[in-house]
Amino acid sequence: MYRIKKQDFSKIIDELIKTGNRIISYSNNGNDFKRINSSNELSINSNFKPSKLSLKEIVFPKTEPLFYYKRTNDNVELKDIKFDSEKTIIIGAKPCDAKAFSTISKVFNWDYKDNFFNSKYENTIIIGLKCDYKDEYCFCNEVGLSQSSKEGSDIFIELDGDDYFIYILSEKGKNLLQPFMSYLIEEIKESKVDDIDNIIDLNKVRTWITDNFDNNFWYSISQECLGCGKCAFICPTCHCFDIVDENYTYFEGRRMKNWDACQFGKFTLHASGHNPRDIQAKRYRQRIAHKFKYYFDKFDELLCTGCGRCSRECPVSINIFDVIKEINAK
Amino acid sequence: METNINFEPKIIAFVCNWCTYTGADLAGTSRLKYAHNVRIIKLPCTGRIDPLFIIKAFEKGADGVLVSGCHPGDCHYTSGNFHARRRWILFNQLLNFAGIDNRRVHFSWVSASEGRKWVDVINEVIETVRKARPFVGYSKMNKEYVYNE
Amino acid sequence: MNNLYNIAKDLFSTNKVDLIIGYKSIDSRRTKPIFVSSNEDVDHLVFNEYSLNNLSVYLTRKDIKKYNKIGILAKGCDIRAIVQLINENQIEREKILIISKKCNGVVKDFGLEYNEENIAEKCKSCKVRTPKVFDLMIDSEEEKKLPEPTISSRVNELDSMTPEERFEFWRNEFSKCIRCYACRQACPLCYCERCIVDKNIPDWIESSPTQRANFSWNLIRAFHLSGRCIGCGECERVCPVDIPLSLLNAKMGIVAFKEFNYATGMEIGEPTLVGNYSNEDNEDFIK
Repeated sequence: MYRIKKQDFSKIIDELIKTGNRIISYSNNGNDFKRINSSNELSINSNFKPSKLSLKEIVFPKTEPLFYYKRTNDNVELKDIKFDSEKTIIIGAKPCDAKAFSTISKVFNWDYKDNFFNSKYENTIIIGLKCDYKDEYCFCNEVGLSQSSKEGSDIFIELDGDDYFIYILSEKGKNLLQPFMSYLIEEIKESKVDDIDNIIDLNKVRTWITDNFDNNFWYSISQECLGCGKCAFICPTCHCFDIVDENYTYFEGRRMKNWDACQFGKFTLHASGHNPRDIQAKRYRQRIAHKFKYYFDKFDELLCTGCGRCSRECPVSINIFDVIKEINAK
Repeated sequence: METNINFEPKIIAFVCNWCTYTGADLAGTSRLKYAHNVRIIKLPCTGRIDPLFIIKAFEKGADGVLVSGCHPGDCHYTSGNFHARRRWILFNQLLNFAGIDNRRVHFSWVSASEGRKWVDVINEVIETVRKARPFVGYSKMNKEYVYNE
Repeated sequence: MNNLYNIAKDLFSTNKVDLIIGYKSIDSRRTKPIFVSSNEDVDHLVFNEYSLNNLSVYLTRKDIKKYNKIGILAKGCDIRAIVQLINENQIEREKILIISKKCNGVVKDFGLEYNEENIAEKCKSCKVRTPKVFDLMIDSEEEKKLPEPTISSRVNELDSMTPEERFEFWRNEFSKCIRCYACRQACPLCYCERCIVDKNIPDWIESSPTQRANFSWNLIRAFHLSGRCIGCGECERVCPVDIPLSLLNAKMGIVAFKEFNYATGMEIGEPTLVGNYSNEDNEDFIK
């Protein structure tokens, strides 16, 4: 653990910008995040609400080319993408956002090593920030996290007056700060464990989901759902994608990987015309089951970090935490 | 009149089969000369023309678009061009509001006997689009589709 | 007394409706849609300045259409959508029972307090604060004066730019689009079973959220709503990246009014704008 003065931290950031790193920080009002060009634009505020869009765009962009193709008279030439990701440092990620990176890394490295994801993730350093924001949509502590959870962060910062308290948690973090150790003052700090009573029994929720595939509950909680996909797109852990070919001319084009959402009506539409998830209730069931059962069954992790974005931003105010509470109460 | 001699605009013309296409044909058989920059796409009627086609033409690299059909009252399908005209009033203003203005999008009525008018319309459209320069807005958006080292 | 609770109870007990689509409070500044099919849940119904959602979006859903008589809480703007849906033959007038009230505006987004600063832009220029089409009226408070609208000055600002500047403005805005289609799903008039963007043979509107495809999508959606959009502003409210969609729709509303003296959804039985034509349609832009 180290203590560092705020202005020294800014000096480090300026140096990192000079050596070609891309620094991502929250904007001044915390609504979104952006690339900054100097430490003056840094916005480190533990009271920010989670941003509208999640940070997953940095390792999993909304659209990305997989390869380019060119038809010639008798052949097709393919040109692969060169993986040369910019070194990126995210500053001020909330615990719910930092954890999401390591969560989805599991599915991108399961039966196939997805280098489109890995090349970006390996070049990204996440500096987490202890969170002091809580509203009725947050439920990070119910899914195994807390406002000071360091999971998923390479470096973790806690605000302490005019200083930052820094935890270096990974090799990446250590290598990043190696040239700047002179700014850091070693200090031992007693780790305060957040003492919160959980109200959700995740095992019970998972069992209920397993045993109640055809329950009418799924219809009653999703009746107002519009099937818009906003929840999936802003979620830090949702990772479904669609692959399409697009052309520039008849001869040239590229294959694209785009965000997709299981909430779309045609997500499971087969070429035969059959659609196994033909009503919104089945699609909403999939969302909850994927996040709280299927992903856990496969990777021992929930596909939800309790950030509450989906509930805050849902056009018809469906609250995922309420859904879980209702299942828990059954 | 200032013209950039090096810029040859690409014009796409969506025309109706019965009037304008025949009119263009007449211009051909009468050996009337006109600029080469236009590519004609034949449709049964202007009523078939979805504004989407106009956007698609710009997406694929057109610098200007012409939409042309029968005079009101002469439509082969009776009322196709009336419906089209109403749509064009709305779409013209929407395109204009989005930055694709009347230097790039043109509409005309050309009948089957108006070979001369066809030539005049095409030449006018080509000169207007030439003055408007290449459609930089779209070419900027199209850059990412081509592989660059 | 014509309060919401009594009206709703009466409707169920006399079997005048078998479903009421309304609002329910989640907290002091947020409501959500609720589907009430019996007297049991009637006491959840509210209808206040936090009732943002346009509930008419549910009227074209298959699972709602199977009800025989549907009561719906609708503000003036929502009623315009219902009227337009009737005019486009998507729902039958006899199946709908419109419950409305005199409206003093709603807040522009969830969680905001109702005050002059937070009133939705659409409310400031609303012409149907006292709706003309309805079946039942709930008691409501006196009409309040609302602030002056700013939308037409913003449209004028765009109009005064050069075409290149306008193109750049919209290219920039649309590049933020993530193609979540929340705008389409929240719109009561986007009821096509298969949207043009879902059709990929041929690929009319590319599905990737690139600048070029986003430009296409947003422009085509604006066109497909020209003369049909009622200006409820739901599309802009639900957009996760804050694209000013209401500017586009407001412009088309102004054009529809200027050129054809047409305002969407004002009268039942009025012929639709784009489904018809007139010999007097302006053609001075046509060579």
